[in-house]
Amino acid sequence: MNTSPAYESVWPRLEPILTSVRKPARYVGGEGNIVVKDHAAADSRWLLVYPDAYEVGQPNQGVQILYEVLNERPTTVAERGYAPWTDMEAVMRAEAIPFFSLETHRPMRAFDVVAFSLAAEVGYSNLLACLDLGGVALRAADRADDDPVVIVGGHAAFNPEPLAPFVDLVCAGDGEEFVLEVDQVVKAWRRDGGWNRERLYAELVKIPGAYVPAFYEAEYSAAGGLRGTFPRRSGVPYRIPKRTVSDLDAWPYPKRSIVPLTETVHERYSVEIFRGCTRGCRFCQAGMITRPVRERSRETVKQMVANGVANTGFEEVGLLSLSSADHSDILGLCGDLADAYEGTSTSLSLPSTRVDAFNVTLADELTRNGRRTGLTFAPEAGTERMRRVINKMVSEADMLRTAETAFANGWRHLKLYFMIGLPTETDEDVLGIAELGLKVLAVGRQHGRRNKVTVSVGGFVPKPHTPFQWAAQDTPEELQRKLGLLKRRVASDRNLNLRYHDPRPSVMEGLLARGDRRVADVVQRAFELGARFDGWDECFDLGIWRRAADEVGVDIAWYTRRQRDPDEAFPWDHLDSGLEREWLWSDWQAAVEAGSELEDCRWTPCYDCGVCPGLDLQHQTGHLPIFSGG
Amino acid sequence: MAASDTSSQAPADQAPRGRGDTVASRIRVRYSKTGKLRFISAIDLGRIWERSLRRAQLPIAYSEGFSPHPKVSFTDALPLGYASTGEYAELTFAGPIPLQPAITALNAAFPEGIAVRRAVAVADGDPKLATWLLASCWDVAYPTGADLTAAVAATGQAESLPVARERKGEPVTVDLRPAIHQISVHGARVRVTLHHLQVPVRPTEVDLALRSTDPALPPPALVVRVAQGRPVAEGLVEALSGELVEPLHPIDMRLPT
Repeated sequence: MNTSPAYESVWPRLEPILTSVRKPARYVGGEGNIVVKDHAAADSRWLLVYPDAYEVGQPNQGVQILYEVLNERPTTVAERGYAPWTDMEAVMRAEAIPFFSLETHRPMRAFDVVAFSLAAEVGYSNLLACLDLGGVALRAADRADDDPVVIVGGHAAFNPEPLAPFVDLVCAGDGEEFVLEVDQVVKAWRRDGGWNRERLYAELVKIPGAYVPAFYEAEYSAAGGLRGTFPRRSGVPYRIPKRTVSDLDAWPYPKRSIVPLTETVHERYSVEIFRGCTRGCRFCQAGMITRPVRERSRETVKQMVANGVANTGFEEVGLLSLSSADHSDILGLCGDLADAYEGTSTSLSLPSTRVDAFNVTLADELTRNGRRTGLTFAPEAGTERMRRVINKMVSEADMLRTAETAFANGWRHLKLYFMIGLPTETDEDVLGIAELGLKVLAVGRQHGRRNKVTVSVGGFVPKPHTPFQWAAQDTPEELQRKLGLLKRRVASDRNLNLRYHDPRPSVMEGLLARGDRRVADVVQRAFELGARFDGWDECFDLGIWRRAADEVGVDIAWYTRRQRDPDEAFPWDHLDSGLEREWLWSDWQAAVEAGSELEDCRWTPCYDCGVCPGLDLQHQTGHLPIFSGG
Repeated sequence: MAASDTSSQAPADQAPRGRGDTVASRIRVRYSKTGKLRFISAIDLGRIWERSLRRAQLPIAYSEGFSPHPKVSFTDALPLGYASTGEYAELTFAGPIPLQPAITALNAAFPEGIAVRRAVAVADGDPKLATWLLASCWDVAYPTGADLTAAVAATGQAESLPVARERKGEPVTVDLRPAIHQISVHGARVRVTLHHLQVPVRPTEVDLALRSTDPALPPPALVVRVAQGRPVAEGLVEALSGELVEPLHPIDMRLPT
């Protein structure tokens, strides 16, 4: 049992230094709806870490869900931790304060499991910083038999290879059932004692969706290419099939969302109305790896919202998914919720709404209590040709009609998200972003001279398990040139607000997104050289990453700038997202050769991406099935 | 609690402010902000109030306009890191509500570290809350073992108490003396009552003045605003209860007023 004094709360040492760091509220815990349990009465203890600042990590749905699922077990403790900001890290190192949890302020080593949620690559350097501050060996091979088990999960974990040496276990896919099964093994490990790491891994690897990097080895050709990642133990699967929770109504989490005491990036009670997406946007990793679509019923969502609003006091309800207006019962759901909260200060939001799925009825339901704050759409590309390539099938007519609906219904400000650096992109496609923005603004002007449009532009990073996984990525210099084209085109109009990200972090994201195990040395070296908070402009330093890559002999351009060969082995091939490689390839070819579109398979015939039969599942929606007759 | 340790009933002519109504639609409250909540900023505190009111299902009134705000107004913000048993707020409800059940529900909904200690009804035409809050009584606790007796004595005898301050980026020297109503000490604890001036004097500046007589002084471990109200010769009359908050004993250094 972890009862040594070294595992007691660090709060007495933390409290005196808190006024010397920025935003001390990040570190105090004490939020509404947290679960504080007696460690001595538990037989497994989890520390769930989101490796970014508190205000970014706290609203994360994945952490919230697993926190509740684990804590519902009476003898399991789950607490949370977040990456300390750089000023806090310096103080912690000076005062020898280890990485701690927020619930009981216990050090990382007081926990049996340290599980990181990886939404994106920008958290990798922080992940190492958290482990290092926690006094846990960075490399799994250096951990003692009774050291905590380090787990990663989340979307970015679908290519865990750049982190492979640092983690004991990877969760492929949905975590709800997975963590409970891991928890059983952890309890047995702690109860029996005396297991060596090998034995622990052998038990963990039996869990479906479990990937133990230590049991696999990457092989490279003489030319430096990857031959593949192969199991090195008998009984270990060649490919690890992802976990998929089939019935979301049976997992109605979050039930009691944590209510932060300080401002975070999303202040609302959020509920996923469905998981998965079938729109088939070729750049979108989330849409590909979360298939098939699994809807929550109107009744479950209503129940969750009623309880969630009552026990949090949040003033906003977010109906989350990858394309919320696509829920088969969206109008009924929004109508019922609008009825329930009419005349109150509770507002509804649909954070991801398709341009072509937005309509007046939905608009009315969302604004019955009078709030018409900004409305955001993501056409993603500026020309019809480019949108065909990425399979984001939104026509200009759709966009303008939607703008008309929105401005006519009282919205004053539309935000439009775009990407540049897409495969086959020309300068004409880039300028098309400005043209579309200006046309939308012209529609807005007809409804009010001061109506505004914000065009937000990000650089495209090719992601694993998508049709674009073969694509070459633009250099930051090229992205900067394309941004220049846009800036010159829209400079004249003050009501069109152009926002863009620094293109430099996309180099690091590209390296980590499609990197192999050799890239892990870059991550560790970058951490040692001081890389932290790579998602923050004020912290990110591409120079550190370039230097780290040089020092360990990794050629970043080989990973980012190179279009992949058709039959090239990928570092993530052994993680089975359910998508057939042949289908991804043919969809990539369809994109670059003909720019041909693919229908949404929720309501049109199946095109055999491979997910449903592999998982013995079908889309679970209220839409009527359409039979292909084949 | 520090305030009740040393409080006693004030003379009859210093009766509690506010009305004794048990049902009201406008109320003033004294609340505490302690423990982990002392690291929460004033802006964040407003949101905590709003959400706690919603969780308690109290019918708080909302302002009109494009983005309605709950009608909760706060008096001067407590600096980050200080604890307090003497913060004040005024709340307007959509209609009259029974006071005591409302406060019970609200206290159950607050996160740990914030609690309403007293509530009084107000009516239209009553003086503004700020007019009741003329001074703050602060306890500055130094680490156990420190003895502030000599420093407080020296400070109490000083003609003036110049401390350095920054004003619009320029270093200036201000005299704390006019702001100090009373200062007293008991071992490691200093109690100082500060008048609310146009430019407020903070307990950190009193610490600076004490430090000038004893440079080896360790930094204060905790600063607590005990109460706010009206300064009188015997101490401070707390605004909502009329209770007297007295200086510390046994050593009681009073500056002439």
